[in-house]
Amino acid sequence: MRKHLLALGAALALTPCLMAQKIGVINSMSGPEAPIGENITNGIKLAEEDLKKKGVNVQLVWEDDTGKPQISMSAMEKLATRENVVGVVGPYTSACSNAVAKLAEKYKVPLLIPAAAKEEITRQGLTHVFRMNAPADKYASSLIDAAASLGKPKTIAFIYENTDFGTSTSKTAKDYVATKGIQVVADVSYPKGSADYRSTLAQIKSKNPDLVFMVSYVADAILLMRQSREVGLQPQAFLGAGAGFTTVEFAKERAISDNVISCTQWTDDVNWPGAKDFGARYKAKFGKEPTYHAACAYASMIIMAETAKASGGDRTKTRAALKSGKWNGVMGEVKFADYDGFTNQNNHQMLVQQIIAGKYETVLPAQFATKKAIYPFPKWK
Amino acid sequence: MAVFLQSLISGILIGGVYALIGIGLTLIFGVMRVINFAHGDILMVGMYLTYMIFTLLGIDPFVSVLITFPLMFLFGGFLQKVFINRVLDALAQNQILLTIGLGLIMSNTVMLIFTSDYKILSTSYSSATIKVGGGVSVSTPLLISFLITAAITAALYWFLLKTDTGQAIRATAQDRDAAQLMGINVKRMSIIAFGLGSALAGTAGALISPTYYIFPQVGSVFTLKAFVITVLGGMGSVVGATLGGVLIGITESMSAVYISSGWKDVVVFVLFLLVLLFKPSGLMGKSRT
Repeated sequence: MRKHLLALGAALALTPCLMAQKIGVINSMSGPEAPIGENITNGIKLAEEDLKKKGVNVQLVWEDDTGKPQISMSAMEKLATRENVVGVVGPYTSACSNAVAKLAEKYKVPLLIPAAAKEEITRQGLTHVFRMNAPADKYASSLIDAAASLGKPKTIAFIYENTDFGTSTSKTAKDYVATKGIQVVADVSYPKGSADYRSTLAQIKSKNPDLVFMVSYVADAILLMRQSREVGLQPQAFLGAGAGFTTVEFAKERAISDNVISCTQWTDDVNWPGAKDFGARYKAKFGKEPTYHAACAYASMIIMAETAKASGGDRTKTRAALKSGKWNGVMGEVKFADYDGFTNQNNHQMLVQQIIAGKYETVLPAQFATKKAIYPFPKWK
Repeated sequence: MAVFLQSLISGILIGGVYALIGIGLTLIFGVMRVINFAHGDILMVGMYLTYMIFTLLGIDPFVSVLITFPLMFLFGGFLQKVFINRVLDALAQNQILLTIGLGLIMSNTVMLIFTSDYKILSTSYSSATIKVGGGVSVSTPLLISFLITAAITAALYWFLLKTDTGQAIRATAQDRDAAQLMGINVKRMSIIAFGLGSALAGTAGALISPTYYIFPQVGSVFTLKAFVITVLGGMGSVVGATLGGVLIGITESMSAVYISSGWKDVVVFVLFLLVLLFKPSGLMGKSRT
């Protein structure tokens, strides 16, 4: 009898470890943001496999927000109250993340945002909201620092989509160039999905800026560069901040994408532990190059799941462990710190890259560089 | 000045394609009094058709219009015969629900087949330009598509004005019952009208695809635009839709430069409201009693 009781006790004590950790995922799996959302989905799927190998059992609850904040919010409500998840990884876009962040705080559910850029998300003192990627100000400052170190730009033109991501990235960029003595000669926002940016670009061309700073998602990035070539916009450098300028589709359009400078959170040639291996396995499994979103999502899921397991599936303990923990993996060193008004923000090192001969090559910082930067931008053919 | 000319030219060129979309919608409305909410999705189908023909058969998007047009005509005729004809006498909201439903089925089917990835159709001339001088350049693909649009519109006018079938379509549009009493097969005219409308939308899709991008939800952008154009020009008026399309193209382009890119839609809708306020039946529309 006593033996049986002991066994039962042992079994009970073991259950929290064996029990699958229930973790929510909110992502844009359909809708206009789906092409990038797919990277996040794949990254998380790869993480799920690796976790299983490590003996961390996770049960993922997937929610599709279709890129709309209101759907994202109802997904969060469901995950927090009905599904009772330990933590949530996601959502993708800034607008969705910002909406969901406040709910995470309300329901006291640890939320780890993998790849949303808007700064405010981690600047509201929300204790349950963590972010893996570097926020928008880092995009802007690393790109402008790169341009300033390569040449002597005096003027800059901004063109960005009028969404949370576009306006917040370019706002910080504008504040940053002011401190560098670079003059803003054009400042244009556009509604995404327009067919024709020629008139706007012609207007920017008439100002003859040294730098053109663009913030766009995938399709618009290609359209903007095509039409820049059409109207003959010829700055010293095209700086593409974020999403649209760091995709394989964009690099494939060599006639218009070569020599565009962008920055990214991650590439597979960086020497962070496991980065190369992650890139290779991702390509083998999904037949596509991973974007930084995939790596961010992968690292986020690994950290969330391991922390949740170590905390026995308890939300409060998970939150505390995320706050105090330190990791080193595909995303380099990760620590959720409080600095410059940010709360629980990973101070991530951005990589500046340039498309050279149809391939993304890291050009800055020097210790990660694979090629030397081409500057100024060559004349359009 | 260069900026002004540049935006005027791109406005007119892009407006030409808008006009083609608008004409298709107005034709369908004129003949059947059915507001086709699937119009943008039909355009999207045209885009994917062009994309397939280009990637699988290697036929240039502009040449493939010759294939796209008849195929989309058949597709439209099929939709009309199988679905729309059944609700012609039903309540307006039932017709709207049917076309919205058809649109949803189209976009989701395409999403299942092609996934939601953006497709970019890159031709050798996708970003080619013709320099006009004075710092103004004209996008080659846009110019070609404008010329094709103009040719199609002219052919359509000729068809509607000079041929027997064209006159029968116009008669059906004017008064369905009277046309039927005169011995016109109105059901058949409806099929032709819907087929033509779809073919025009599909062609517009084909013409935009070398310069735009293709994804399953692209239709909604153009459905809304087609409405504004059609209502602005006067529901059912082909001339009005042509005028409306070019007008919207120029307005978008000009307001992007002189007001702000982010406000161009607002300018378009304010213009739209003003026209409705002073001429409720649209620019070329006849008021109905």
